[in-house]
Amino acid sequence: MSEDAINLEINGRFFQAQEGMTILDVAKREGIPIPTLCYHEALEPAGACRLCVVEITHADWKGWKGLVTACLYPVEEGLQVTTDNEDIRTVRRTVLDLLLARCPGSDVIQKMAAEYGVTATSFKKNETETTCILCGLCVRVCAVKGCSAIATGGRGIEKEISIPFGRPPPDCIGCASCAHICPTGAIEYEDRGDVRKIWGHSFKMVKCASCGHPIMPEVQLDFEAEKSGLHPDYFKTCDACSQQKTVETIRSSFALRAADSRDSVEAIG
Amino acid sequence: MERILTITPSRCTACRTCELACSFRHAGRGGLGISRIRAFMFGEGKNQIITCFQCDDAACVKVCPVEALTRNESTGAIEVNADRCIGCGLCSIACPFGHMTHSALSGTAVKCDLCGGEPACAAFCPTQTLEYK
Repeated sequence: MSEDAINLEINGRFFQAQEGMTILDVAKREGIPIPTLCYHEALEPAGACRLCVVEITHADWKGWKGLVTACLYPVEEGLQVTTDNEDIRTVRRTVLDLLLARCPGSDVIQKMAAEYGVTATSFKKNETETTCILCGLCVRVCAVKGCSAIATGGRGIEKEISIPFGRPPPDCIGCASCAHICPTGAIEYEDRGDVRKIWGHSFKMVKCASCGHPIMPEVQLDFEAEKSGLHPDYFKTCDACSQQKTVETIRSSFALRAADSRDSVEAIG
Repeated sequence: MERILTITPSRCTACRTCELACSFRHAGRGGLGISRIRAFMFGEGKNQIITCFQCDDAACVKVCPVEALTRNESTGAIEVNADRCIGCGLCSIACPFGHMTHSALSGTAVKCDLCGGEPACAAFCPTQTLEYK
């Protein structure tokens, strides 16, 4: 390891890390389990779900210890981390209890809560039907895509994932990345015929030039072509038809050179 | 120098051993549908094997919004970092050859990664249609 490596201890084992890594980065690298709901490696950590809490202390801290979110806390020399003990489990149980009160119908939350022994919430159940845990993964993925069409709005108990002025967001391209990344499946969209309905929009879909299968909204195609610098035609054929076309192209090129293909199975057998 | 996976279609008997080797290697079970390499049967001497070309200027890499596709400098293969992949499926649409697939099981992109430098398909190919040299 390099000299500028940072030495830290997780659950009594010693590890080395680089400046800028978080506790969760090291734990993931080493295969040490820490539960998460709002974390995704491709996105900026947000510390929203609080499930990844771990306990930290240090030889110089005179016995002081504290609970921090592993996804946000940067590694430092001599840090001593514990990823599971009764204090940590108490916090995680409370978090899951609260999430279960907010989203009693969510399978994902029910399953996670059960792993921590929470089978029913001890708080008042939310009467509004939702499976959104306000983790903000959808907002962050939308920003990474370059759209920033949705955001969190409101505060406290009124906080929600919202669209500007309650109208279909003008920057939305209908890619549905928000729906795909949502850990609890709270964002709905519908593909019917050549129309995708999401966030109040009805997007017209581009159909595969060969089979007619809907590929992506027309608006998204323009966006992706411009962003990647690729010709729009790259986005007009579905993967199955592209593969078929490749097979046919190679096949016909070999058929033209059939006379040369003497190295058949018999020749090598 | 880098080694490459070569395909000599005229030797292929479309026995599909490569597909099985690939699915066992990557998914731990045999399943022709989950393989990253595909054999197409058109009759002796005309069969086709299709897998990723590991393009130099790859469309999949260009369109990925989260840099989940990177080239492994030692093998030359473009690899999917499944933890980074957000499952948007753009790479599978952009690949002009249809070599990128979207796994419904993991919700991420899957593609040939040359098995990190020891491609199972080539190791198991009984007719040396697939060679890694």
